[in-house]
Amino acid sequence: MRFFLSAIAALASFCASPALAANATIEKAIDGFVRPAYADLHTAAAKETGDMQALCAEPSPENLAAVQKNFVALVSAWSQVEIIRFGPVTEENRQDRILFWPDRKSIGLKQVQAALADKDPTASDPARLAGKSVAMQGLGALEFVLFGTGSETLKAPGDPYRCSYGLAIAQNLEEMAKTISEAWQDPSGIARTWANPGPDNALYRTDDEALTELFDVFVHGLEMVRDVRLNGFLGQTPDDDRPKQAIFWRSGATVISLGENLAGMKALFEASGLADLLPSDSGWIADSIGFEFNTAQTMIGHEPVPITEILASDHRGGLPAFRLITSHLSELFGVNLSAALGLSAGFSSLDGD
Amino acid sequence: MRTPLFDRRDFLKAAGASFVAALAPAAQARTAEADALFASAYQNRGGGFGVAILTEQGKIVHSVDLPDRGHDITFDPVSRRSVVFARQPGTFAVVFDHTNKAEPVTIPSVAGRHFFGHGVFSPDGKLLYATENDFDNSEGMIGIYDATDAFRRIGEFPTHGVGPHELLLCPDGKTLAIANGGIETHPDFGAAKLNIPTMKPSLVFVDRETGDLVESHELPPALHKLSIRHMDFDRDGTLWFGCQHEGPATERPALVGRARMGERFELVDLPETALIGLRNYVGSVAANPAAGTVAISSPQGNSLVVLDAVTGAVASVRDLTEVCGIAPDSAGFLASTGTGEIVPPEGSAHSDPHYVWDNHMLRIEG
Repeated sequence: MRFFLSAIAALASFCASPALAANATIEKAIDGFVRPAYADLHTAAAKETGDMQALCAEPSPENLAAVQKNFVALVSAWSQVEIIRFGPVTEENRQDRILFWPDRKSIGLKQVQAALADKDPTASDPARLAGKSVAMQGLGALEFVLFGTGSETLKAPGDPYRCSYGLAIAQNLEEMAKTISEAWQDPSGIARTWANPGPDNALYRTDDEALTELFDVFVHGLEMVRDVRLNGFLGQTPDDDRPKQAIFWRSGATVISLGENLAGMKALFEASGLADLLPSDSGWIADSIGFEFNTAQTMIGHEPVPITEILASDHRGGLPAFRLITSHLSELFGVNLSAALGLSAGFSSLDGD
Repeated sequence: MRTPLFDRRDFLKAAGASFVAALAPAAQARTAEADALFASAYQNRGGGFGVAILTEQGKIVHSVDLPDRGHDITFDPVSRRSVVFARQPGTFAVVFDHTNKAEPVTIPSVAGRHFFGHGVFSPDGKLLYATENDFDNSEGMIGIYDATDAFRRIGEFPTHGVGPHELLLCPDGKTLAIANGGIETHPDFGAAKLNIPTMKPSLVFVDRETGDLVESHELPPALHKLSIRHMDFDRDGTLWFGCQHEGPATERPALVGRARMGERFELVDLPETALIGLRNYVGSVAANPAAGTVAISSPQGNSLVVLDAVTGAVASVRDLTEVCGIAPDSAGFLASTGTGEIVPPEGSAHSDPHYVWDNHMLRIEG
């Protein structure tokens, strides 16, 4: 009986196996999307740390505006790469520590408010913050610090705690982004494992398994955007809209985040060259996917705007149409592309049941 | 709503008891064997959903359309009716018989609850129990339905955990075994798992008459992301359970365990090759009491593993693309796949291009 977890130590047995041809599609996905996208996240998080330091040193409306602006850039970078839901981001709860959402019972909100009210010194220390509740240390917490009730105090000296807590969150995010990015850069790490399937590879035994991991990014990503993110606040009719259930509503970055999720998928689709694997009579599938991705971006805005305003505007800011496009894309990937590539759409295994 | 039916029992009845009596003993045994039917939820190529009654050969003898995706099925041998439950977070269960004698009955979820896809009847067939989600309070519930009164919901009791999945009636006929998967979900947010960093699965035994908690078992804290989800009882009445790991894919926790009320609760180590083949995901567990074996399937790992129910040793490992549904059949297991195959214990698979099969398959004795 074993009551402990045995991590696979760097897939040691893998090195002993005969060299197999690397999977070119996966290599292109890694080099053309995953690595640069995590590097961008690291850059945006480092910039947020720098801007927070400037704000804490000199609280002012201008410095707060700079931090808030870069927060939206950080959300954009994360939203592109969060579609990658395997690999180093799944270690040490990083996914939830970077973004704990939805915070349905306002657990995170209450913890953040308590830290601010008590001026909790352990929350403003990035090393100790990393060991606290996942809901206190990510983008949701930073958004409340920068945009939530009381954030105007950051414009002037007098409440250094709020700024120092925000700085600790930014530093913690920067540290996680750095760790993930470096893990993907490591030539003997996850990148090698994913791109080199084989019988001794503990995660990917065949090219099909490696490609299915890539393919699942689109299937799961589209489902997340539609079923979790959009349907959480966008009702079938305007009367059913619940703007406070929208992700990043405090910073007005809701629609930016949704758009960047799809932009990430488009970038990954193009970088990987999945379309090149299609037989010639199935080329229309890639054309349709490209068309839908492009149309999706024309449906929605790309500047921060409060979600209540967007929902009150003409055609609710194009969000119902955007939602419909995610359904078209789900069908194109899950039905058409999977069949053309001979990949299983995971009917029995998609979402854990 | 229903497709035409060819009912084997009608044929036997028409042929007369003398037809069966005239068969040699070996042939009688084969008849009894062949008389078992199987049930599974499906999606057809047109995108529609339903539940089918199948022969071992994969021939559909009866089917019922469903408004959305189904999951598991339970059967009441007293009334000879089956119930298929909607896949989570579905809000219906459908009661049907295998003939055209009665219209299917739809059981809707009550406000504030949805089904998790599994349920069982009481031994006398009078009550139906279903795992349900009290989603606003993130509490697992067992809904109780009166099968003698149009499946009216007559009560509920807590599962003492979050995200209950499969439940079984224990051999004592009095206790329910419930797998609390530990994963919090809310229908507002689709299938999103809301509490992975803090999830705490458990296996509980609950008195079905009083709702009292009899026993609760949790995994050690280091394994709190190991969601306990599916179960079956072996010949000796030991409960085997299968898990799905929500932690990183590089971790390789044990995925199978066994329990006996008042005696033990433990994980069972599998050889590394068999364990790796399961890809941290057990989709279904089924015992074959006659053969003394237990099967576990992994659609993510495309693997069907059969264990000796006494020693826990691996008896066989079979590669089957997207295998998930499993049910005892002669000395082995009948398996169904997400690619549309029905795979008998021996011989070639049957494939019907019009169907792909959902996660579970139920054996129904003829």
